[in-house]
Amino acid sequence: MDSEDDMHDANDIESMDDDEGFYSDEMGMDYYGSDDDVDVDFGEDNEGIKRIEASRAENNFIILKESDIKQRQEEDITSVSTVLSISRAASSILLRYYNWSVSEVHEAWFADEDKVRKTFGLLKKPAIQLPSSRELTCGICFEAFHRGSIRSAACGHPFCCACWEGYIRTSISDGPGCLILRCPDPSCGAAVGQDMITMLVSDEDNRKYSRYLLRSYIEDNKKTKWCPAPGCEYAVNFVGDDENYDVSCLCSYGFCWNCTEEAHRPVDCSTVSKWIMKNSAESENMNWILANSKPCPKCKRPIEKNQGCMHMTCTPPCKFEFCWLCLGAWSDHGERTGGFYACNRYEAAKQEGVYDETERRREMAKNSLERYTHYYERWASNQLSRQKALADLHQMRTVHMEKLSDIQREPESQLKFITDAWQQIVECRRVLKWTYAYGYYLPEHEHAKRQFFEYLQGEAESGLERLHQCAEKELQQFLSADGPSKEFIDFHTKLAGLTGVTKNYFENLVSALENGLSDVDSQAACSGSSSKNGGSSKAKGGKGKGTSRAGGSSKNVDSTGMWTCEYCTYANSKHSTTCHMCHHQRR
Amino acid sequence: MQASRARLFKEYKEVQREKVADPDIQLVCDDSNIFKWTALIKGPSETPFEGGVFQLAFAVPEQYPLQPPQVRFLTKIFHPNVHFKTGEICLDILKNAWSPAWTLQSVCRAIIALMAHPEPDSPLNCDSGNLLRSGDLRGYYSMARMYTKLAAMPKKG
Repeated sequence: MDSEDDMHDANDIESMDDDEGFYSDEMGMDYYGSDDDVDVDFGEDNEGIKRIEASRAENNFIILKESDIKQRQEEDITSVSTVLSISRAASSILLRYYNWSVSEVHEAWFADEDKVRKTFGLLKKPAIQLPSSRELTCGICFEAFHRGSIRSAACGHPFCCACWEGYIRTSISDGPGCLILRCPDPSCGAAVGQDMITMLVSDEDNRKYSRYLLRSYIEDNKKTKWCPAPGCEYAVNFVGDDENYDVSCLCSYGFCWNCTEEAHRPVDCSTVSKWIMKNSAESENMNWILANSKPCPKCKRPIEKNQGCMHMTCTPPCKFEFCWLCLGAWSDHGERTGGFYACNRYEAAKQEGVYDETERRREMAKNSLERYTHYYERWASNQLSRQKALADLHQMRTVHMEKLSDIQREPESQLKFITDAWQQIVECRRVLKWTYAYGYYLPEHEHAKRQFFEYLQGEAESGLERLHQCAEKELQQFLSADGPSKEFIDFHTKLAGLTGVTKNYFENLVSALENGLSDVDSQAACSGSSSKNGGSSKAKGGKGKGTSRAGGSSKNVDSTGMWTCEYCTYANSKHSTTCHMCHHQRR
Repeated sequence: MQASRARLFKEYKEVQREKVADPDIQLVCDDSNIFKWTALIKGPSETPFEGGVFQLAFAVPEQYPLQPPQVRFLTKIFHPNVHFKTGEICLDILKNAWSPAWTLQSVCRAIIALMAHPEPDSPLNCDSGNLLRSGDLRGYYSMARMYTKLAAMPKKG
């Protein structure tokens, strides 16, 4: 599980004398909790206590199962019922009107009890005096009934059981409006609570009513939502601040609390909704562009992509290796072009004129559809890759891990680095996917930012491709081996190292994009500096609301004494001369 | 079915008994079908409908009184909440604010009240609603008056 590199980190922490270094390492290791860590880890003497708070703050949401929801609802009703000395049914009615906020019910009730009672129909005494005769007339069917067969809400308006049943049944079948049911008399507003309903209608209608009541607890409460994944029955209770909206349900679906779309850091909710709108509007056009296959650039046979990464190899005898996105030769994507994978550089690729279609493409570059297609294709392609990676992760967990454990004679717990890598790939594909939406909406005229963005994105892409390739292709030989091999240890080190580096890089990428690439303003675009430094130095200042994401100018890089590796962007301590991640020399 | 029939029969008897009680409303049940009713209502005084007699048609559903009756004007009327061509009425108690404690008689009273107090913000007749919303009371009054005279008053001579 722990890679060599992680071990290095641990050593760093001890060797370092300042908190900033500690923070930076923490940031790299901990994706979800990082923001909260910034707030609490710094400059405080009582670090022990702060650490506990940090770990608690890591989860800014709680997943609720149906039993949890029921329990919470019961507790809230009991609480209100006890404090206000009213029936549970009345408490439930009040809580529903106040969106299940116990404190708001208390506040309103103690401010003006009579007003609350009147508004929500919780009468203290009957509104009418019934005649003392033994027979009463039902207000709906107008038949005379014996007193014992007549039922009334708190107001006293008499209706027979059959009419009540019909009245309540009609209301329940009309929907959740049954939760605010009032007396059938048009001039009367007396509330009809669950106690009466339970008494008067069938079991099935009672079940429906309870269902609406349970749903109301989630849907009317500002701090809870249902998980939007299809078929998922869990609810999420959000208890965090508005800094990080990402939540992940027990069903493994990750979504944004704010807009309930799929998790989309680093782009914000409004960009996502714009992008999704655009996608649905343009989908007709996209259908033919993104047909499931592409022809091999060399032999022109149609190829369906079934492996996760963009490195394609045509089947023999052609065996042409090419990039799935641009259909250029894979050999062009080598280190000569500045990275293993430079395909995101749309503008650059056009200018270089390496494709035979260059002229036509240049013409069409002015066409916004072409531009959109470029980004959409990459967005969708990462989406597909992510789905494939999810499936692979599942396959890995359920099938390959056991097999590999047998072949390599290692306990499965020692192989966790492989699933860690796959999980990282899934997460990175998600981030990378959204960077294309980000890129599409990044203004054309901000050249420095665009350049910096494309640089960051390119590096992210190449790093991820390296990791994906390693986890997918290099693993194959060990899966098909007869017995344990010495190379497996090297593979372990390499994959765990790549996972760590990639995680670190993507964390920085997300931060940089979230603060709007503000580093560009103060530093040359290609310096490779990350916002992490800006973030840490800002956080040092105290309990700033912005925390790591707010960023600062990169002048602060120096004041913290950190230096950023030009190759992998890892933030190293000022004492080291080589990068701890990729062992490149400090320049 | 039985419940609605029983209830309508009660209402029928009540109408027979109270015929003189409310001179503005005259409810009549169809001879062969207790689920079909018609009503004649008098236009309320101090409105452009004064002096007119308007005919309403009731179609009562089998789930009555749990479901509201369908009511429409048979007499042409220029009113923001009544469809000029079909006579359909936009009134909350005939839709979501219905209560089984309402009766056909009380529905008629509610419609008379609606004639006196139109709701121009949810119009079925936009021309009529626009006149009121733009504050052209004179225009509204004269149009409504004209249709009352044309359709709801006995021809002179």
